[in-house]
Order: sequence, then C-alpha cells, then structure tokens
Amino acid sequence: MRAAWRWSAILGAVGVSATFPLWAGSPYGLELGISVALFAVLSTGLNLVYGYTGLLSFAQVAYFGIAGYTSALLWTNFEFPMLAGALMGGLLAALLGLLIGYASLRLSRHAFAIVSLSLALLCQIVSRDWVSLTRGPMGIPGLSAPTVAFAGIGQVSFDRPAAFYYLMLSYAILVLALLYRLVHSRIGRAFLAMKLNQPLAESQGIDPLGYRLLAISISAAVTGIAGGLYVFHLTIVDPSIFDFYYTEAMLIMVIIGGPGSFWGVLAASLAFSMIPDLLRFSTDLRMIFYGIVLVTAMLAFPRGLGGLLPARIAVPWRCRAQA
Amino acid sequence: MGPGVDLGLPLQLLINGLVLGVLYALIAMGLALIFGVLEIVNFAHGELYMLGAVAAYFLTTSLSVGYWGTIALTTAGAVGLGALFYEGLLAFIAGRGFERSILLTLGVSMVLQNGALYVLTATPRMETTPYSYRSVILGDVSIPLLRVFALGLALLAFAALYVLLHHTRMGQAIRGVAQNRAAALMVGIDTHAVSRLAVAIGVGLSGLAGAALAPVYSVHPTMGVAFVFKAFAIVIIGGLGNLPGCAVAAILLGLLESVVGGFFSPTLVDSLGFLAMIMLLLFKPEGLFGRGVRL
Repeated sequence: MRAAWRWSAILGAVGVSATFPLWAGSPYGLELGISVALFAVLSTGLNLVYGYTGLLSFAQVAYFGIAGYTSALLWTNFEFPMLAGALMGGLLAALLGLLIGYASLRLSRHAFAIVSLSLALLCQIVSRDWVSLTRGPMGIPGLSAPTVAFAGIGQVSFDRPAAFYYLMLSYAILVLALLYRLVHSRIGRAFLAMKLNQPLAESQGIDPLGYRLLAISISAAVTGIAGGLYVFHLTIVDPSIFDFYYTEAMLIMVIIGGPGSFWGVLAASLAFSMIPDLLRFSTDLRMIFYGIVLVTAMLAFPRGLGGLLPARIAVPWRCRAQA
Repeated sequence: MGPGVDLGLPLQLLINGLVLGVLYALIAMGLALIFGVLEIVNFAHGELYMLGAVAAYFLTTSLSVGYWGTIALTTAGAVGLGALFYEGLLAFIAGRGFERSILLTLGVSMVLQNGALYVLTATPRMETTPYSYRSVILGDVSIPLLRVFALGLALLAFAALYVLLHHTRMGQAIRGVAQNRAAALMVGIDTHAVSRLAVAIGVGLSGLAGAALAPVYSVHPTMGVAFVFKAFAIVIIGGLGNLPGCAVAAILLGLLESVVGGFFSPTLVDSLGFLAMIMLLLFKPEGLFGRGVRL
C-alpha cells in the first residue's frame, strides 16, 4: 500500500518534470527547472554527508566550483568533451574531499567543519588571485555545450535551455536513484549506525573513518560533476561559482527538509529553489532571507520541519545524535 | 655581511609579519576564548570584526570622534554587543550540539554581511586619522604609525586578558568553566554569567581589532571573511581552545606570510594558513601544543 503510493508519487513527479518544457511557457520557467534539478543534486549530496554520516560540510561549493573550473579549463585548453571534463572534475573533487576528510577527521568532526569551510574560502581567494590559470575575476567565458546526434531524435544542441534541462534532469534522476539505493543499503545502515552511536558501531566492526571518507568522496563526486555540467549552461566560469550563496542554499534545504530525510530534503530543495525567485529577491536580500531562516530554524526546530512531525512518524530517526 | 647585502628588507618583512601576527592573534584569541568556554565556534566572528571597523569608520568620519576616542567607544560597544549576542542567541543553544551552534552563528554572519552589503554597498571606504601617512623610522625600517598603535593596543589587550584570566577571581571562574563546566557549576560558579563574560571579551577583542585596523586597511562589508579564514587556521594550528597556542600560531603565521609575501605570489600567501593547517592535521593532528582546553 505505502509502496504503491510512493511509486505512483515518483512516477507522477518524473512525468511532470519530463513534460515540464512543454508547458513551462517561458525561458524563465526553464531556468527555474534547471535550478531545481541542480539543487536537488547539490542538497542530496550534502544530505549524504551531513544527514547520514553527521559531518557538517561547507566544502560542497568548493567541489562544485573546482569541478566547474576543471571541466571549463579542459574544454578550453585541450578540447575535452563536456561529459569527460565533468567526470574529471568530479574525480578531482572526490580526491580533494578525501584529502580534507582524511586530514581533519582524525582530529574531530569539529575540525572537519572548520577545514571544509576554510577550503571553500580558499577556493574563492585562489580563483580570484591565480590569474595565470583562472584569468581571475574575468573568468573563462565562451563555454558552449555540445551538439549530439541521437538515434531517432536527430541533432540535439545542449546549448538550448530545454535540451540542457533534460540533461540536468537525467543527471539528477540518476544521482537521486543511486544515492537512494546507497542510503538504503548495508552501507547506508552503517552510516546511520555510526551517527547514532559510534562506539557501538565500532564494536560491530564498522570503521568510521573509512565509511565517512566513502560518504565524503561520493558526495564530492556527484556535486563536482553537477558543477562540471552546470558551467556549460552558464557559458562562463568565474570566482562567483564559489559564492557562499550556494552553500547557504544547500544548508537551508537540508536543514529545513530534515537532515537524514531523503524525501524531506528533496521537497525542501524544490521549495527553496523557487521561493526566493518567486519573491523576486535581489541577491543581498536573498542571502539575508536565508540567514534569518537558518537562525530561526536553529532556535526553533533544529531537526528540520520533519522534526515537528509526530514522533510516531519520526520513529526511524528518533535517536538521531544530538551532539 | 658583504657589501650589497641589504639588511633592510628582511628586517622590514620581519617587523611587518610581527604586526600582522599580533593582529591575527587578537581575532583568533577571541574565537578561542568563546570556544574554550562555550564549545561554540563563532562563525560570525569575522563579521563582528567588520562591524567594529564600520563603527570606527562612521565615528571618525561622520561624528568626528578622535582616534583614541573611536578606539575606546568601539571596543566598549563591541563588549556590550557581545553580551547581547550571548543573551539573545548563544545562550539558547550553548551545550545543545556543535552543528547547531555553527549553523546559528553562520546564519548571523550571513545576515550581518549581506545586511552591510545592502546598506553600505561593496565600495571600500578609507578612514583617515591625524596619524595617517606618518611613520616611525628605525634605521632602515619604517613602520606606519597606525600599525605601531595597533600593535601596542593588541599587546595591551593581551596583557589585560592575561591579568584577568590568571590574577582575578573572575578569570579563575572562566578557566574553571573552560576546564570542566559541570564541576564549575557544582562548586557554585555562575556558568551563565561566565559564558556571557567570555563572549563579551571575545567580541570586544574583535571590535578592538576592527577599530585599530579600520584606518590601516579599507573598510568594506566582506573584510571579515579573509581575516576569519586565517583565524580558523590559527585556532586549529594552536589547538582548539588553547589561548597561548593560538597566540604563538598567529604570530608564526603572520611572520611566515610576510616573509613569503616578500618573495612569492599573493596566491601562495593566502593559501599558507590553509596549507599549514592541512600539514599539521596530517602529521600532528592534536595541534602544535597538544590537545585540551587551556585558558
């Protein structure tokens, strides 16, 4: 019964999103659609590390931007295809995630939060100052997504927003399906066990560092690939790819959706990619809005809106670690 | 030393580095003090420093308050703001989870930074004082007078903090709470008041840094980001919550940055703190000066 309900909801959502360009009506609607698909990947990536393994990561935007720069530079200098460049970017992001994870997690989760934030800030500074590589604030312009011939459809140019929307949507569905499988597998249960009671999990033979590094690198890779693709939609990559705006948006989506709640975070990323746009906020006001939401959430409902649900529904997550 | 070897440059770099390091220490020690007592990493610390600088700018420029008056007023204001920050926000989440405190202070930082951008725009402003453009000359080395004052103020603040922590009952209470909160509560220490005091001092130090540096660097809404980025590295290198460790790490980083900056690119200088932090975590994860809270 519940399974049937869930599957019809999923099929309905896929149906709605697959036909979206037909009734979106305007380029603006398509932009919003691309942004929803992007943030679904980014926030679920953060949810994997923060929600499931309990590591607060501020480095997601660094993975996103570094992979964006990687795929843009490979495309510009070596004519790498977009997909290959994005994969390389994802790989680099995963390696970087492993480095900061390995270095800081031997100390504490606290150190991981601080080091990951430092990485994000460092990327901002380096992308601006290392002019010989990144061209500084000028950025790398002129990126253009490829035209690919599909059997039965013919030539599809991913420069067109509708085509790019489908690309991003397919990637989002792929990532969501993979991560859903992951968190509901043995590995996902190990993540959760570690978060609920680390000494107990260790006594059962779960190696916390290994599992945490696994979560970090998967999350970094999917976030990075999203960045590597997205810059081809932006057509330019400049230091603003590391903007704190992305971090804050991802955090809001995960926190309001409820860390560790797969569908809650997905719903929140849908809502929060659209609300500020629909309210026509300028960037400054949007950040202030997000900041106020964050402060309010921390004071009033630290487990997300899902945490306000009756305990009966929240039972699987009830013993979520507080510290 | 043969002819042609110029002692001026190395000496100049050394002194610049020392000044820079002491100012890093001012910000990092506030961060470490708040962490030691409350186990809260204050992500809004850079923005509080920025507020101090903005306040100093407007006091000098719009209200024509003198240099020393501005320093005193801004520091006092920051101490008050710190107490308010604790009573209004931090008191509700102290001891309720590390992530929660990070996210709360991060939210505060975003509101302050973007609020300042909205009100002041991103244009950098320069505060001029009667002491601007004057330097102290020592042999081959010349140091801008305002940096000398900033250095003196910072050293004075350290001395005051040391006396407070080690020679007063209030300081004893602060150190007690930092060592063991429950035990401190049991022997009758008012942990609430101690926490408020620690946050007030921490924010006061960053306000003092803001006021002292406003005429040295330009004042703009995102000025706190670069500074707090260094401060985080320093706090990790010195050992979380270890005040003397922090001070030493800050001065070392300032010296290193200044010397490297004399010969290499600015990108490398900005990355130094981060690289040092990663290296340290890889090879000596407990921090330069060992684990544990020591105030």
